[in-house]
Amino acid sequence: MTVFAFTVARRYLLSNPLQTILLVAGVALGVTIFVFITALIHGLAILLTHQVTANSAHVTLEPATRIARVLKSPGVDTEAVALVSTFQRQQIREWRSTVALVRLQPGISSVGAQITGSAFLLKGEASEPVAITGVDPDSLDDITPISTLLVGGDANLEAGGILIGYRLAGDLGVSPGQPVLLRTERGVDRLLAVQGVFKTGVQTVDERVAYLSLPLARPLFRLPEGVTNIEVKLTDPQGARPLAALLHGATGLRATPWQDKNLSLDEALTAQAQTGQLIQMFSLVSIIIGVASALVLSTYRRRSEIGIMRAFGVSGAFVSWVFVLQGLMIGLIGAVVGCVAGYGLCLMLEGLTKADGTPALPIAPEQGGYLAALVLTTLGAVLASVAPARSAARLDPLEAIQQ
Amino acid sequence: MTRLLDARGLEMTFRNGDEPTPVLRGVDVQLGAGELTALIGASGSGKSTLLSIIGLLLRPTAGTIEIAGERVEGLSDARRTLFRNSRLGFVFQSHHLLPDFTATENVAFPAAAPAGRLTPAMRLRARELLVRVGLGDRMDFPATRLSGGQKQRVAIARALMNRPKLILADEPTGALDRESADQVLTLMKEVNEQDKATFLICTHDSLVAARCGRSTTLQDGRVVPTPARGE
Ligand SMILES: Nc1ncnc2c1ncn2[C@@H]1O[C@H](COP(=O)(O)OP(=O)(O)OP(=O)(O)O)[C@@H](O)[C@H]1O
Ligand SMILES: [Mg+2]
Repeated sequence: MTVFAFTVARRYLLSNPLQTILLVAGVALGVTIFVFITALIHGLAILLTHQVTANSAHVTLEPATRIARVLKSPGVDTEAVALVSTFQRQQIREWRSTVALVRLQPGISSVGAQITGSAFLLKGEASEPVAITGVDPDSLDDITPISTLLVGGDANLEAGGILIGYRLAGDLGVSPGQPVLLRTERGVDRLLAVQGVFKTGVQTVDERVAYLSLPLARPLFRLPEGVTNIEVKLTDPQGARPLAALLHGATGLRATPWQDKNLSLDEALTAQAQTGQLIQMFSLVSIIIGVASALVLSTYRRRSEIGIMRAFGVSGAFVSWVFVLQGLMIGLIGAVVGCVAGYGLCLMLEGLTKADGTPALPIAPEQGGYLAALVLTTLGAVLASVAPARSAARLDPLEAIQQ
Repeated sequence: MTRLLDARGLEMTFRNGDEPTPVLRGVDVQLGAGELTALIGASGSGKSTLLSIIGLLLRPTAGTIEIAGERVEGLSDARRTLFRNSRLGFVFQSHHLLPDFTATENVAFPAAAPAGRLTPAMRLRARELLVRVGLGDRMDFPATRLSGGQKQRVAIARALMNRPKLILADEPTGALDRESADQVLTLMKEVNEQDKATFLICTHDSLVAARCGRSTTLQDGRVVPTPARGE
């Protein structure tokens, strides 16, 4: 490449400003779409992940499951199935030391021991199944910030009441202060007052989940010492998987990271990313086709000029460079303009809000894939110029002059 | 006088499909250094074809070409390009100026492109040449803003840029009016005399031919004795 080839390429682009502006605008538009889609997909992934991780535990520790193992012994044809003992209650007895161990790990934001179990809530003729979570009243909000989601009553679990979702409250026809009968899976009945009513916005939670204090849960589920599960929350949800592996190794407990409880989210994110890649690819291909066709047209229009250059001894390589450099400039300028426009568009869309004040689009303007857009577009435009450049370099000067 | 061009036994047969069209059937051309020679002949007699072969733009079917002591008919494409750039100058019927460049840039182009940059020295030489062809007041004009005759004079200046040994002109006055044609021819004669550059000018115009020192006539693919004037 030479300075003079650059001069000629620039002169060619400036010779028809309108055409060049349209061409650059076309490239920029493609890049803008690329940036917008990338930022949107990243924003969506961040939003979905946040929705899943904000109000739930990142790692759940539970007693190892009872698994029926197949015993094989040499010389015996028949397979004997080991009977699993069901006389032992599934619980974590040494939960205090486990909680202490978890607390020692880096990046932990909270740890809570819980007793969870099934029960029915009865009121008059109404009977609704619920999942009971017995928590330490002081750490009620550690996993899900329930007290911030109250629509009625208060969150004071020490008082011995129960917190239920607003849908459940509606189904049972109860409001704060009124009594309901709790019948647990262990056959214990207890009349409890509704302490508070919450609304998380997640239907199953608002319909089927209830909170009470851990000391209250012990007799109800006949667990005088142990707990059923330990819920861990991290400062960075992405650290859940390695921590789960580590805790499983250290305690022998079943440790489930949030990703495994939300496999459909993982699939949705992957599918989304793939759709995004497809759109990115199409915008790139359209850029390449646009640049290539413009340059093919340009080499055709400048046939006789190229011919005369070749006649007075300008090399084919020089002619090639003139067209490759045009592609490079179009790609680079288009990419920069497109990135700036894309960023601006994302910022603008990020500012749009719905009637309730929440963002209309989950967009992450800083994650628009700008470097990729810049590199891929410039590379694509250069690639697009190769074929026209070669054909220009191969032009027979005589034929071109005689045209 | 030393010999600048020695072309012997040039044959050219075009093949369009299966039908071979013989255009040159054994042409010998010799030019002495510093000569100004007219190449004449009926339309279709093969003048342009011969000029293209000598100008290394077309490979002959047979024959040898020696220019400035160098055998050139077998050179590779890259060497031919280099040779055209350093030893030959071209002027065509149409000026073929680059429309996006000024007169000066057009003249300097054959030097700037191979060198990779347009140096001040090149610019200076281009301007000197433009002054010489009478366009001292049009040096920074875009090529598109010049008249037909002016454009052709820029094209001649461009042909001279790299101090060629041999200048090949194909109907250089063909598109010009009488006055411009005269100017152009006078200019070529001047360059020929002052620079001792060798010219081969192919023309239909008997007035042009008459002003050249020598003439060579093509007929039926061969060089024939030039008919006496007035015949
Ligand atoms: N590429 C080609 N393929 C086939 N035939 C060709 C080709 N180029 C030239 N010819 C033929 O060669 C012959 C000579 O053409 P050329 O252009 O050399 O003639 P010319 O003497 O320059 O004519 P004019 O005075 O009209 O310019 C013509 O019959 C032409 O048809
Ligand atoms: Mg001709």
